[in-house]
Amino acid sequence: MSNAYIDDFPAEAKLVRTAFYSSFLALALGGVFGIIQTLHRTGYYRFIDSADYYTVLTAHGVFLVISFTIFFLVGVFTWAITTSLDRGVEDLRFTWGWYGLMAIGITLSGVAILAGFTDATDISASVLFTFYAPLQAHPMFYLGLVLFVVGTWLAGADWFRSWWAWKQENPDARIPLPTFMVLTTMLMWYIATLGVAAAILLFLLPWSLGLVDSVNPLLTRTLFWFFGHPVVYFWLMPAYMMWYIMLPKVSGGKLFSDPLARVVFVLFLILSVPTGIHHQYLDPGIAEGFKFIAMTNTMFLLLPSLLTAFTVVASMEHGARQRGGEGYFGWLTALPWRDPVFTGMALAGLMFAAAGFSGMINAGMNINYLVHNTFWVVGHFHLTVGTAVALTFMAVTYWFLPQITGRALWSRSVALGQVVLWFVGMTFMSNAMHRGGLLGVPRRTAEPQYDGFEFEAAVGSMGELQAQIALGGILLTLSLVLFFANVFGTALNGRSDELPANEYAGTLSGPEDAPLVLDNLKLWTAIAVVLVIFAYTFPLLSIVDRGGLFGPDINPLPVSLETVHLLAFVLESHATGALESIAWLGVSR
Amino acid sequence: MRISKAGLLVVLALLAPLLVELRTVLSWVNVELTVLETAVVGAALVVVILVWAFLPENGDGKTAEGDASSEN
Repeated sequence: MSNAYIDDFPAEAKLVRTAFYSSFLALALGGVFGIIQTLHRTGYYRFIDSADYYTVLTAHGVFLVISFTIFFLVGVFTWAITTSLDRGVEDLRFTWGWYGLMAIGITLSGVAILAGFTDATDISASVLFTFYAPLQAHPMFYLGLVLFVVGTWLAGADWFRSWWAWKQENPDARIPLPTFMVLTTMLMWYIATLGVAAAILLFLLPWSLGLVDSVNPLLTRTLFWFFGHPVVYFWLMPAYMMWYIMLPKVSGGKLFSDPLARVVFVLFLILSVPTGIHHQYLDPGIAEGFKFIAMTNTMFLLLPSLLTAFTVVASMEHGARQRGGEGYFGWLTALPWRDPVFTGMALAGLMFAAAGFSGMINAGMNINYLVHNTFWVVGHFHLTVGTAVALTFMAVTYWFLPQITGRALWSRSVALGQVVLWFVGMTFMSNAMHRGGLLGVPRRTAEPQYDGFEFEAAVGSMGELQAQIALGGILLTLSLVLFFANVFGTALNGRSDELPANEYAGTLSGPEDAPLVLDNLKLWTAIAVVLVIFAYTFPLLSIVDRGGLFGPDINPLPVSLETVHLLAFVLESHATGALESIAWLGVSR
Repeated sequence: MRISKAGLLVVLALLAPLLVELRTVLSWVNVELTVLETAVVGAALVVVILVWAFLPENGDGKTAEGDASSEN
């Protein structure tokens, strides 16, 4: 008999296992659509119509950044709550209830997207992950998203319920660090999802059902990004949690500072939401001042990431020195590179540092104009969610699988090869995407080339960049095949009695060193809400004032190309006349 | 070996971003490499790393200490 998670919490392990398998199904689907679009866009192998590219792109985005990430993180959070509070969930039926709601929701949205491939039904949702109006999806897509998000809300309620029950029995104890991380993440998520809930329930779903004639696209976009940026932290914060509580342990040491970890999660709670407008620097309907506020808040978000880099590397160094590592850099060789859990997370963290640099470019208001809506942005988020999050999740899967199945990992060598292959594949792909973006190559198009225009690469050629992207995509797909081989192999293994115990990292500086105020969740939530009010009230009022709640009156201009030509002729005549007048005045003086 | 096999694998993987960016950096000093030339430079670096890794430390043929492969 081992002390694995499944031994202590068999019922919860079943839930975590189901959430993980749901996540892996989405990863497989998203991965298939990923390689299809990579080969199509680069022109190496095209077997779909370019019009279907957008359905593929929507499926790739939604399955990976909504289903894969969030199903995985609800599994991790359930493990974190039960393990750190050392108690099972309060009501298992409720727990399965929120999982069921999430599963039904994502199934509805997924079916709506996939139905876009066939003409047999008029259901489709090729609206991309951002589902901007005026792109309109079938109501089933929006309804599915609503159910999925409500499922996550109930999951959060479940975890708060566990904490409250624990608190009754431990009134003077500090919140255990993993639980603290879950609760702050969920508080951030509750605030963030208000935006998308409003966008869908008040505008997009009624519009899709035909209950209202139009929407204000800028309003729904702004509400989307109210949620769209913090959702990045909803993916990242579980990865951060793994870096804080698992990476030091597998490094052979302890977490450098529990208080610093709490500060980081409080900062994420406060700063994640009032930043979304930095995705809208090129939206003309939002005043520059509001964009400047969003930029300032975004730059502050670098602070928790830099604190994390320091704390995690310090913890790794502590672990390495416990293993006999010496010297300024010599300790690096003492780290457990043979362990795929460690190596995967370490490489993911390294890639995240690169993502931070490209993210600073995105966040800078003026330099963003250079890369906005280009392939650069795609390269950026393949480093963040595509590597920092996805690679961390895959790496910790190798630790979690034995814990939740009771079976030994099928192959550590294959697992190590898988995480390294992901790193190499993403290096090729995201590097070429960033460089393509600098040349102005657009994102979100099946046909990035234009007639009569050639992109000119500063180094090499466009063809080489395309080849690099295709190579990267193929390596990533191979990496996924190895990952699933390990998942299946482990599931088919026999039950093992020699599994590692279900533990997370101890701390060098524990919660007793953290000021009590850090655990005051009400205070941090209130500050977060106030910052959101500051950042969003005036922009939203201004957007509604100028465009109306349901959009401006329908303006028939321009209704045809002839009208555009006529308009251009009139404008040109006026402009020429004005310039001639100015020139004449200048001469006469 | 001077380094564990897993450590060697990671070092070789880290070579990928270095090689990709080396091409850009060299262009700043007007050295423009073709893909083939970059691949040749990469292969040469891989050989150098492999020779260094497989040479016995201090000539006594001992395997690198601190290899985590036997742990966990």
